[in-house]
Parts: sequence; C-alpha cells; structure tokens
Amino acid sequence: MVNVTEKFKDAKEIINSLDFDAHWYRRVFHTFGASFLFYYILPDIDWINILKLWIPPLIVIFVIILELLRLTGKISSNHFFGLRMYEKKRIGSYVFFAVAILILLRFFPQQIAIPCILCATLGDPIIGEIRRNFSMKYVYLFGFLVCMFFFIITWFKSDVFLMILVSIIGGFGAIIGETKKFWWLDDDFMIQMIPAFLLLIIWFSIPYFGLAYPGEIIYQMPVVW
Amino acid sequence: MNKSDMRYMKKEFYFTKIIRTEILFTPLLIGLPLVVGFLFIYDWYFRGILEGTTAFDGEFVIGIIIIIGNIAFGIPFIKSLKVLSKKK
Repeated sequence: MVNVTEKFKDAKEIINSLDFDAHWYRRVFHTFGASFLFYYILPDIDWINILKLWIPPLIVIFVIILELLRLTGKISSNHFFGLRMYEKKRIGSYVFFAVAILILLRFFPQQIAIPCILCATLGDPIIGEIRRNFSMKYVYLFGFLVCMFFFIITWFKSDVFLMILVSIIGGFGAIIGETKKFWWLDDDFMIQMIPAFLLLIIWFSIPYFGLAYPGEIIYQMPVVW
Repeated sequence: MNKSDMRYMKKEFYFTKIIRTEILFTPLLIGLPLVVGFLFIYDWYFRGILEGTTAFDGEFVIGIIIIIGNIAFGIPFIKSLKVLSKKK
C-alpha cells in the first residue's frame, strides 16, 4: 500500500527544492491581469450580473485585508513572493494594480478601460524589460509606441482623427504614469489611471468635435442555455 | 528610489520552507489568460466570421495580443523555473 504521508513529504520536498525567478514571476503576474477582460464578455443574465457586481470588489477587499495583515505583521512578508524591498513597509503594488483595474471596470466605458488595462498588464512588463536591457531613452520611445498601439487597436472603430488623438494622449499618459515613480503611489496605478482620466476628458468632448462615439470592442456573449 | 530598493524581498528569506503559494498559482497565472484569449477568438469566429460581420474583429485582436503577451512572458518564466531546479 502506498504510504500517503511519505508521498506527501516527498512532494513537499520537491516543491521546496524548486525556485522561481522573482523577476519573471512578477512579469507573469502582470500579464495574468489581462484575464480580467473576461468581465466584458460575460452574458447579460441576472445571476451573472450579480456576480459581476460583487466579485471584483470582493477580490479587492480580500487583497486589501491581506496587505493590511502583512503590513501589521500578522502575516509574514516571507509568504508574499516577488515583493520588492521598497514594498516591505509600504502597500504592495499588486493592491494598486487591483484597485485601478476595479475602478476601470466599474466606472469607465470599456473603450477607455480596455487599453488602460492592457497598458498595465502587457505594456508595463514590456517597458520593464526595455528598462532592464536598454537605456532610459529607449524606455520612453518604445514604451510610448507600445502603449499607443494598445489605444489604436481599441479605437480602430472611431474616426481616424479621434483614433490618432486618443492613441497619442493615451500613450503619453501611460508612459508618464509608468516612468514617474513615487514611494506612496505605485506606477501600476498611475499607468492605468492617468491615461484613463485624460481619455475621459476626450470622451466627454467627442460630441463637441461633431464625432460619433466608437462602438464597443468586446460584446457580451448571448445566453446559450 | 535607489537600486537596492528595487531588489526582491525573497532573496533575504531564500531558504524559507513553506508549501509555496507561487507553485499553486502557476497553472492559473499561465493558463487563465490563454483560456480568455482563445475565448475571444472563439467568439470572433462564431459570431463574426460565420455570421459575416466585422464587428467582432476587436475581440480577435485582443485575443491574439493576450495570447502572444502571455506566451512571451510565460515561456521565460517556466524556463527560469527549470534552470533553477536543475541547479538545485
């Protein structure tokens, strides 16, 4: 008969002998955030709408409580893999990341929220890799182009003038948010919120330009059952 | 913020032995974005291509970007894991 305790002990030893590169772990954690775009494709059904209403804030509340427990010393920082030294006595960037995504999903139209989320989830790790391997001047240039690209692909249904305006302002806002670092406010929050607020100004100005609002990018799935 | 602040905290606690949460999260971190990306492509194909409308092209582009982005960062992440486990 297989000794379950022995097997479990072996498995635990193997798991503990493995190690992750914190740098790549952090990058993958960012790209994982793109999964939240799933929110927009969920069908319009009462019980799903209730889940959509409650699950994102509950995740954020859970994350905030977890972080409070870490900062007050009730949970050791050892359990939080991939944290940087400056996050030891400060709110972790993953909290800022989650709060910004929640604000975007809940309060912004998807035409603004989607490119801003993509900037944080994919643009940020790309910029991080450029920063790691090249000089800062390349960070500004390629970071701007990458973020601009996310705004172009999500505003392709709009007027060309609007698409160019949004992509330049959005890309500019994202790169400012990413490169300006503060101890008390994380770039994971700034890279999403600065372009979002800049685009919100444009959003409210669209009727004054005599242009039409762009269509949605992601459509809710039909009810199949 | 100086360079030492940017170091990862884990290095100080390198030999901490606990059931590693990062290992439990790995399939979710790698798998879920790929599932979401393919779901967008699936939706684009069935509601866009088969119905002959271009309205869903945005879903296709976003799906492709999510998949490429996750593969681009997921592969080095898994490779780094293998290298380190071999070293051990």
